[in-house]
Amino acid sequence: MSDTIHIQIDRADGSLQRLIGLVERRGFHIDGMNMADEGPFRRIALTVRGRDAARCLDNLGRQIDRLFGVRRLPDEAMRSEAA
Amino acid sequence: MTAAAFKPSAEAAPRSGARLLVSTLERLGVEVVFGYPGGAIMPVYDALAGSKLKHILVRHEQGAAFSADAYARKSGKVGVCMATSGPGATNLITGIANAMMDSVPMVCITGNVAQGLMGTDAFQEIDILGVTLPIVKHSILVRSAAEVPAAIEEAFHIARSGRPGPVLVDLPKDVQFETTADDHGFSIPNDAPRVDHDAIAAAEAAIRAAKKPLVYIGGGVKIGGATEAVRAFVDATGIPQVSTLNALGTIPTDAHGMLGMLGMHGTRAANHAVQDSDLLIVVGARFDDRATGKLAEFAPNARIVHFDIDASEVGKLRSANVAVVGELREGVEALTQRMRAGAALDIQDWADDCVRSAKDGAHRYDAPGEGVYAPALLKEISEAAGDDFVAACDVGQHQMWAAMHCRFAKPEAHITSGGLGAMGFGLPAGIGAKLADPSATVVTIAGDGGFMMNIQELATLKRYGIPLKIVLIDNSSLGLVRQWQELFFAENYSEIDLSDNPDFVKVAEAFGVEAFRIDRRDQVSDGIQRLLAADGPCLAHVVIDPRDNVWPLVPPGKNNAEMMEGS
Repeated sequence: MSDTIHIQIDRADGSLQRLIGLVERRGFHIDGMNMADEGPFRRIALTVRGRDAARCLDNLGRQIDRLFGVRRLPDEAMRSEAA
Repeated sequence: MTAAAFKPSAEAAPRSGARLLVSTLERLGVEVVFGYPGGAIMPVYDALAGSKLKHILVRHEQGAAFSADAYARKSGKVGVCMATSGPGATNLITGIANAMMDSVPMVCITGNVAQGLMGTDAFQEIDILGVTLPIVKHSILVRSAAEVPAAIEEAFHIARSGRPGPVLVDLPKDVQFETTADDHGFSIPNDAPRVDHDAIAAAEAAIRAAKKPLVYIGGGVKIGGATEAVRAFVDATGIPQVSTLNALGTIPTDAHGMLGMLGMHGTRAANHAVQDSDLLIVVGARFDDRATGKLAEFAPNARIVHFDIDASEVGKLRSANVAVVGELREGVEALTQRMRAGAALDIQDWADDCVRSAKDGAHRYDAPGEGVYAPALLKEISEAAGDDFVAACDVGQHQMWAAMHCRFAKPEAHITSGGLGAMGFGLPAGIGAKLADPSATVVTIAGDGGFMMNIQELATLKRYGIPLKIVLIDNSSLGLVRQWQELFFAENYSEIDLSDNPDFVKVAEAFGVEAFRIDRRDQVSDGIQRLLAADGPCLAHVVIDPRDNVWPLVPPGKNNAEMMEGS
């Protein structure tokens, strides 16, 4: 089962690579990705799927939170935007 | 120059990016930098001459990274290392990974080719930012001289705040040359999570409900400045404790109630207490597999109270019943206050059982024979050096013997490559620790395998006259691998023989370092006295039986109650 995470990252050297590398290294496949330009930021929607049952999306979220210049966007904000 | 002269000002005289780097390091209070020059970092080395920074010229960049790491562990300050682009930068990598795995604050500065050449496979060009992404806490590629001060300040802030770690700053050569009168300051955010007092109350309730509580102390306690807080908590509650490798000394290793290290080479008392416990109070530890053994069978009866500054460690491997995310000192102090305000815990029988088990299982040092018994030697040297003893360990059997048998009075006394397990750490780590605290009795404890991986740093010892003591425990083999081949690979000894090692005494002497050999048990006490009394650097080459093993041992994939004991 895949989930979508919404993220805003600073437009800094290596920031995209850092995010994607972390997601794959922590045991998730990236099934889809959308990126939009937001001036100094990029807004990214990542569709991810754990490599095995032990991979927990909450843990991945907390790993992403450790990155600098990266912010997870609340799902609700994304939903209301989409509506 | 005074600190005020370095205040960011738009009216300052133009300075190069390299000079801005050096002046920012000075302003941040950096005293020692470990490094090695090369083409792409020459402007920085030009600016270093005449600065207040003491640059330690190592003989391999890996030595610079390891020395900076140990300097940081011993001093509590940010360690700084620098190297040129390409091979200089890639030689830092093992050291960067080491700092990442053990949460050590370190700033690594690399030169790079000029921005116009980046991406063209220029001479000595490597995308070091890309190469190191998985092993840094953060990294910054500086694109203009004006950004240098802010980038360095941000790197220092990130390296030491929260859960510390290494930060890489990559400086293209044109940025080092570029002059600017402009520099942007960096405003330090206050981003430490606050301790949740509801969680503290829940932790107290869990402890009061437990019959067999146990404190599982990790390396985060020292890093978070929470050593005294944890000691006070233990005093206030009487709860027995176990320690990870990186936390040894947080509670003095000979204290009543400290059951020793848990895990693969832990004590029987510690491992059995964990397996029996009904509540683990985990403080700044991360359930590393070397500590837990088979995770599914680890502490099967225990609820978990987990204190950590890093939210991503909570629930990563073992779910927590109570999670306290935030500064450890603040969290533990708040818990202690609550525990003191209430009734004393009724756990005396459990605590007594734990301590009795530790006493009954205490290691014996009366192994028969004439040969040197390494555990006894390591115990003796740590006791002879007293409270000023600091061990800088390499990786292997000697590292486990040091962890099990040395006396550590404080957590800074034990510097070891815990998470990464990087052979070659011991000698450069000893250099970094001794420079961080010249008054300490710093002893590098190495094996013959790891020592050869950074043996060139003997030249650094000699060059700066650093009075580091080295105990080189030589079993003429890769002992821990040999032990596993004996036990788990049907004695199929494959590529572990190092009996063609050089004569280490002659090698040390050739570098200008005093050295002598210890072959027999009756030479040990005099040898330790000679080593500790030496004015300058000194190496004791200790020859032991290659068949000596590290006991006890939890076999890989087994639970921690299934300890093997050798003869």
